[in-house]
Amino acid sequence: MRGRRSLLPVWFMLPASVAVTVFFVIPVFMTFVFSFTSMSSDTGILGNRYIVTEATIRELTERGVDADLVKRLGSRVFAFDQAGLAAVGKSGLKPPVVKEIEEKLAGAVFGSEKELFAALKSLKNRPRSFRDRKAVSKAVVNTIVNREFRTATGFRAGLASINVEVDDATFDRLLGLVNTSWSWTTKNYVELLASDFTLKILANTMFYVFFTLIFNVGFALVLALATFYMPSGQSKFFRAVWLIPRISPSVIYVMLWKWFTFDSGFMSYFLGTFGVAPENWLNEYPWTFVIFANGFVGASMGMIIFASAVLAIPRDVLHAAEVDGAYPWQQVRRVILPMMAWPILFVTSYQTLSLLTSFEYILLLTDGGPGFFTTETWALNAYHTALSNYYGNLRYGFGATLAVVLVVVGIALSLLYLRLFDFKALVAEPPIES
Amino acid sequence: MKFKRLILAALPAILFALPTAQALAQAQEMEIVVWAPADQNERYRFEAVALAANVLNEELKIEGRDIKVTVSARSFAGSQTWQQLKQGFSLAVEAGQGPHIIVGGHEDIPVWGNAGLIYPIEEYIDLEAWPFVDVFPSLWPIMSWNGQIWGVPQDAESRPFFGWIPHLKAIGYSDADVAALPEKVKSGQYTLQNVLEDAKKIQDKGLVEKGYGFYPRATKGGDYWQFYAVQKGGDMIDDTSGKLILDKGALLGYYQFFYDAVFKYEVTKKNHLGMEWDQWYNEVANGKAGLWHGGTWHYARYTRREGLDDFFGTVMFALIPSGGAGGKATTLTHPLTYLISKQAKGEELEIAARLITIVSEPRLNTLHAIASAHLGITNAQTKVSQYSDDRWTAEATDLLKSAFALPNSVDFGQYDTLVWKGLTATWSGDLSPQDAVDTVVKEMAATMGNKVIIR
Repeated sequence: MRGRRSLLPVWFMLPASVAVTVFFVIPVFMTFVFSFTSMSSDTGILGNRYIVTEATIRELTERGVDADLVKRLGSRVFAFDQAGLAAVGKSGLKPPVVKEIEEKLAGAVFGSEKELFAALKSLKNRPRSFRDRKAVSKAVVNTIVNREFRTATGFRAGLASINVEVDDATFDRLLGLVNTSWSWTTKNYVELLASDFTLKILANTMFYVFFTLIFNVGFALVLALATFYMPSGQSKFFRAVWLIPRISPSVIYVMLWKWFTFDSGFMSYFLGTFGVAPENWLNEYPWTFVIFANGFVGASMGMIIFASAVLAIPRDVLHAAEVDGAYPWQQVRRVILPMMAWPILFVTSYQTLSLLTSFEYILLLTDGGPGFFTTETWALNAYHTALSNYYGNLRYGFGATLAVVLVVVGIALSLLYLRLFDFKALVAEPPIES
Repeated sequence: MKFKRLILAALPAILFALPTAQALAQAQEMEIVVWAPADQNERYRFEAVALAANVLNEELKIEGRDIKVTVSARSFAGSQTWQQLKQGFSLAVEAGQGPHIIVGGHEDIPVWGNAGLIYPIEEYIDLEAWPFVDVFPSLWPIMSWNGQIWGVPQDAESRPFFGWIPHLKAIGYSDADVAALPEKVKSGQYTLQNVLEDAKKIQDKGLVEKGYGFYPRATKGGDYWQFYAVQKGGDMIDDTSGKLILDKGALLGYYQFFYDAVFKYEVTKKNHLGMEWDQWYNEVANGKAGLWHGGTWHYARYTRREGLDDFFGTVMFALIPSGGAGGKATTLTHPLTYLISKQAKGEELEIAARLITIVSEPRLNTLHAIASAHLGITNAQTKVSQYSDDRWTAEATDLLKSAFALPNSVDFGQYDTLVWKGLTATWSGDLSPQDAVDTVVKEMAATMGNKVIIR
C-alpha cells in the first residue's frame, strides 16, 4: 500500500537548498551576468547616465558624425529670449532683480557664462551672490553640454530643448555614445583571450594548486601517521603544534614568514653562519615560500581529519596485519591507506577547490609579484582586477569574467574527482544491510 | 472664575506647544561627513573643515539662517589608505552612504566624475572670488577634466631628489658645488647618469653599504613616473585628444635607468621594492643612503620622528635630474583635492561648498601645510607668517614651478598597473629593459586598444 508521499524530506532539505541558492546559485548567476558588462568604477553600478561632454563632442567628430549636428550639440549660449526670461521669473530671485533683467537684458545673447556674469554685474539691482548669478545662468542657458539625463526620454527632451531633431537610428547611435554608464558586452572574454598573461596566470594557478596540494595532503598524511605511531601524550602535543599555522591570524602568520625570509631575517642569519650571503629569500624564491606558507596551513586541517580517520580503523584489522608479519610501512600501504580513501578524497577535493579560490596568503606575501604576475594566481588576479587598484580604477565586469572561469574550472574539477575516486562505490550501502 | 477656566482649558495646549516652540527655536542640525586620507601629521585635512564649520555657523547666524553645521570625519591611515578610501567611496556613494566631502587624489576626478559620484565644483563655488582667485594658476588644470573644474586643491607638494651632503663632500664636492647642484640639475647639466656615477663613488668609498648608493622610494607610487617624465618624449597625455600616451623611447630610458642602478652600477638593491617604510625613513634620515628621492612631506618625518636636527646642513634637495639629451628635470606634484560627492543634496550641497571655501583660506590651509610639510595652494599663503617663517615650505614651494602632475584620465589605473609591472620585472632581473618595454607595449595594445597612443 502506498501512502501519501510525506513532505518531510522536502522540509528537511529546505535549509540546505536555501543556503545553496543564496550562497552559490545566485552569486554564480550574478557573476555570470556581470561578466557580460563593462562595469567598472568609472561607469558606476547603478543605472544609465547620458551626458554630452567635451570628450563626447571630440569622439563624435572622430567617429564621423555629421559636423553640423556635432556643432549644435556642443553649442552653449545664454539667451534672454521669451523662454529664458520666463525661467528667470521663476528662478526665485527678488522681484526688482527680475524686473531690471527684463528691462535691460531682454533679447540679449551671450556666448559664455563669463560674458553673462559681466553683463549681470553692470546692473544696479544685480544678483549679488554667486548662487543667484548661477540661477540666472541656469535659467537662460541653452545647451545640452554637461547636463545629466537618467533616461533616454529625458535625453530626447534635452535634445528637443536645443531644437535638435534626429531620426531614430541617429538617436540610438548618439545614446550609445553619450552613455557613461556600463553596457552589455562580450569584450571581457575577448580581452581575456587576447592577453598574453592569461596563459601565464593559468599556468601559475595550476602550478600553485598542484604543488601546494601535494605538500598539503602528503604532509598531512605524514603527520597523521607519525602521530598515530607515537605515544598518545606526545601525539597530542605535536598535533597541537601543527595547528598553530591554522589558528594564528593570517597577517601575523605571514609577517612571521617575512621576518624569517628577510635579508636581515632568521634564514639569512642562519645561512650566514655557513658563509651564504644574505638575501631576501622571499623575493628570490617566491614560489617556494608561497607553497610552504599555504601548505603548512592546509596540512593542519588534513592532519586532523586523517588522524581521526586512522583512529577509526578497527584495531583488530591492524593487529591481524601485525600477526601476519606486516611491517608498519606495509600496514600503512596495504591496510591504512586503502581504508582512508574517503577522507583522502574529501581532503584532496576540498583543498583543490579552496586553493583555487583562496589568495589571502599570496596577497600578503608577494601580492602576485615580483615582476609580471610571477606568483599571480587566477583568484588573486580576479581580486586585483575587480577590487584592488592602486589608483582606484576597479573593473568589476572583467573581474567577474575571471571569476566565471574559476567557477567553471571548480565545477569541472569536482566532477572529475567524484569520478576518479568512484564516489558511487564510496556511498553505496554496505552489503550487510542490503 | 472664567479666567481660571480659560487657563485650565488652555493648559494642555500650552504644555503641548512648549516643546514644539523649543524645537523651533533650536537651530536645525546639519551633519556634514568628511572622508580624508590622513595620518597624524595630516589630520588638518579634516580637522580644518571642523574649524571652518565654526566660522560658517557664525556666518549663518548673521544671515539669520537656522542651521547649525557639525562636521564628522573619518580618516584613512596606514598602508592600505588609498585603496580603502577609493574603493570605499565608490561603493558607499552608490549605496547612498557616502560622505558629503571627500579628500581625493586629483586622478580620482575622471573616475568619479564619469561615474557621476561627484559634482563639478565650478558650478557651486565662485572660483573668481576669494580665496580661489589667488590659487596658484598651475593647480587648476590638475583639478580639471573634460572641460570642467571638479575640485579645489587641498594641498600641493613636490617630490624632490635628495642627497646626503657629508657623503657628497667626501667624494669631492666643495660647499659651493653642493650649493650649485640644484641649479645644475635644473639646467640639465647634472643628469640621471651622474646620479648613478656619484652613487657608485659614494658606495666605493665605503660611505654607505652596497645597494645604498641610490635609494629610491620603498614601495609603488606615482613617484616612479618621474623617471619616465624626465626622459626625452616622456609625455603621459595628449592634450588635444585627451588620450594617454606611452612613449617607447621614454619608457626604455626609465627602465634602463633602474636596470643600470641595480645590475650595472649595483647602487640599488635588487630586492629594494616592498621594504618597510619605517626602516627606509630611518636609514635616509641617518646618512645610510647616498642619494635618494622622496616628497616634500618627508621633511616632517626626517626632522621630527627621525630626529634629523640639521636638515639644511645635511640634505641637498633638487628636481629629479633629466634623463639625458632631450629630457628635462622635473618633479611630480600630486595635489589632493576637496570634492563634493553626490551624497550632498540641496542645502547640504550649498553648505559643503561654503565649508570648502572657508577651509581654503590661507591661514586655515597653512595649518595643514606646516603640520604635514606639504605646500600651500595660494599666493597669499606665502605671506602668512607661519608659512613664510618656515624655511622648508618657503624654499620647496619654488620646486612647484617645474612640476608636472599625473594625467586625469579614466584609463590611468590600468595604464599605470602595466607600466609598473614592467618596472618590477626589470628590477628583479626577469626581463631586460627592452623586453619589458615590448611586453608592456604588446599587452597595452591588446587590452587597452585605442585608448592609449603608443608611439
